[in-house]
Amino acid sequence: MIFWVWVFGLIYAGLLVFASLKSYKKGRSSEEFMMAGGNIGLSLGVLTFAAALFSTFTFLGMPDFFRINGIGAWIFLAVSDGAMVFVLLWFGYEIRKKVRGMEFRGVSGLISRCYENKLAGYTFFLSAFLFLIPYVGIQIQGIAIFMDAAFPESLPAWGWSLGIVLIMLTYSEIGGLKAIIFSDAIQGVLLLAVIWIIGWACLDHFGGIGQMFEKVGSVKEELLSTPGPKGLLTPQFLLASLIAILMIPVTQPQFTTRIVVMKSMKTMKLMAVSLGAFAILVIIPTVFIGMYGADLYGEYSSQEFFAMAFLNDQHEAVAALAIIGLIAAGLSTTNAMIFAMGSELRGLLTGAENVIMKRTKIGIFIFSTIAFIFSIIVFDQLVLLARVSFAGTGIMGPMILLGILSDRKISPVMIYLSLGGLAIFLMSLGGIIPNMYFGIRLDLLLFIVLGISAVGSYLSSEKRIVTDTKVN
Amino acid sequence: MEKKKLYWKICCYAAVFLCIITYTPLIIPQGVSKPMLGGIPYSLWTSFIITVLLVVITFIGTRVHPGMQNEEDDI
Repeated sequence: MIFWVWVFGLIYAGLLVFASLKSYKKGRSSEEFMMAGGNIGLSLGVLTFAAALFSTFTFLGMPDFFRINGIGAWIFLAVSDGAMVFVLLWFGYEIRKKVRGMEFRGVSGLISRCYENKLAGYTFFLSAFLFLIPYVGIQIQGIAIFMDAAFPESLPAWGWSLGIVLIMLTYSEIGGLKAIIFSDAIQGVLLLAVIWIIGWACLDHFGGIGQMFEKVGSVKEELLSTPGPKGLLTPQFLLASLIAILMIPVTQPQFTTRIVVMKSMKTMKLMAVSLGAFAILVIIPTVFIGMYGADLYGEYSSQEFFAMAFLNDQHEAVAALAIIGLIAAGLSTTNAMIFAMGSELRGLLTGAENVIMKRTKIGIFIFSTIAFIFSIIVFDQLVLLARVSFAGTGIMGPMILLGILSDRKISPVMIYLSLGGLAIFLMSLGGIIPNMYFGIRLDLLLFIVLGISAVGSYLSSEKRIVTDTKVN
Repeated sequence: MEKKKLYWKICCYAAVFLCIITYTPLIIPQGVSKPMLGGIPYSLWTSFIITVLLVVITFIGTRVHPGMQNEEDDI
């Protein structure tokens, strides 16, 4: 396998070097560095959005989620993604309309302007920081664990993590957002190819789709229906997950930035449809891998399952491709998230542009260091942590939507309510307060209360008399 | 333009309707895997159809969205 890892690794590294050099331009402006010049076409747009969305979480997490919780995992992710692309179409139009004629400096900067209150931007930045950095950390950790399984005793897990962070920092420093978008495109193609090769091999093990479910049903019948063997996928859990995923284009800055940097409305709307098709194509093989795991490795730990299904049971070349595909998936997603955090920080800073850029780059370095520390100390299930990340940033959804959609002068009440919602959600994660009230999940309750508050805040606000006043 | 607005509204209602029925016993009856379609469990094949329909509605949405045609393309 080592031979194949070198072959595919060198090809991938070569493509990365080529992409970063192609993106590097001496004396480029900060706009070119941070926003890729706002000129991304359809193919790159689809692949970069897909690569940022479908990461280690999809590659490893979803097969494991199907293996443990059964077919309801499709509703958890695929139905939610199908609905999300519709929201992407609607919200993409609204946000592009809003930022037309102004320089887009991240959601934090935009929302500060909408509310004419910097606290709105800081609140959003805080939620992104709290929920994206641990998610980045656990993605890095996922790759490190996988590499450790593939090459035992070559490097400690933290050594792999450190290597990934260093590559990420060097790459984004040389090429900026454009290079990250190119690496996303490479990863998007690689992910689709690898997941189908492995998925097909897993389906082949059963001899067909009908036989696959027949076999899995004989092993554990609860896997064929909701809520699954562990009782996790209840209608309420799935509905709260839907809302959290619907809010991804609104509240996760790496996605919002990608919507804005698309070349035109036309490419943006085609990107939304293509992304929906891409989502279906990527999630289907994860069902096959998950069912394969349920049949053969039902009682194994996640790590053991990954090692068996992705490495040991595959041809050496496929296993090597899986390793490179996983590195690519983790690298591009973590890169996208860390860089987006840098963009958000930039939107909140004031002063001379060169000073802002210097501080932004220092910020990216600090975020990467914190993510690296998280990758060493935090252990959790990939999919469930991703869901917490979506829900945590999703709490900001009503505040952002109100700011962007409203044509009225909005009161700052919604900012305070969002901050309160964030604090309550954090307390429930810390076990300080319960996560169920009146039989309803806390995250669902927060979405409902904040959503109603946003509508109430809009209806009670006055029509604007003067045009927008810039805050920064 | 008025027609486009109407079609766009229909798309929005259809998307919301599909999302709502997904979380009812119509699509996810608890602990039930039958009737199967080609050996695929009930909740999986029905929710697969819903996913495809949502993407199709998004596609129709790109054609009928009332704002997009009149908007200047470049930001």
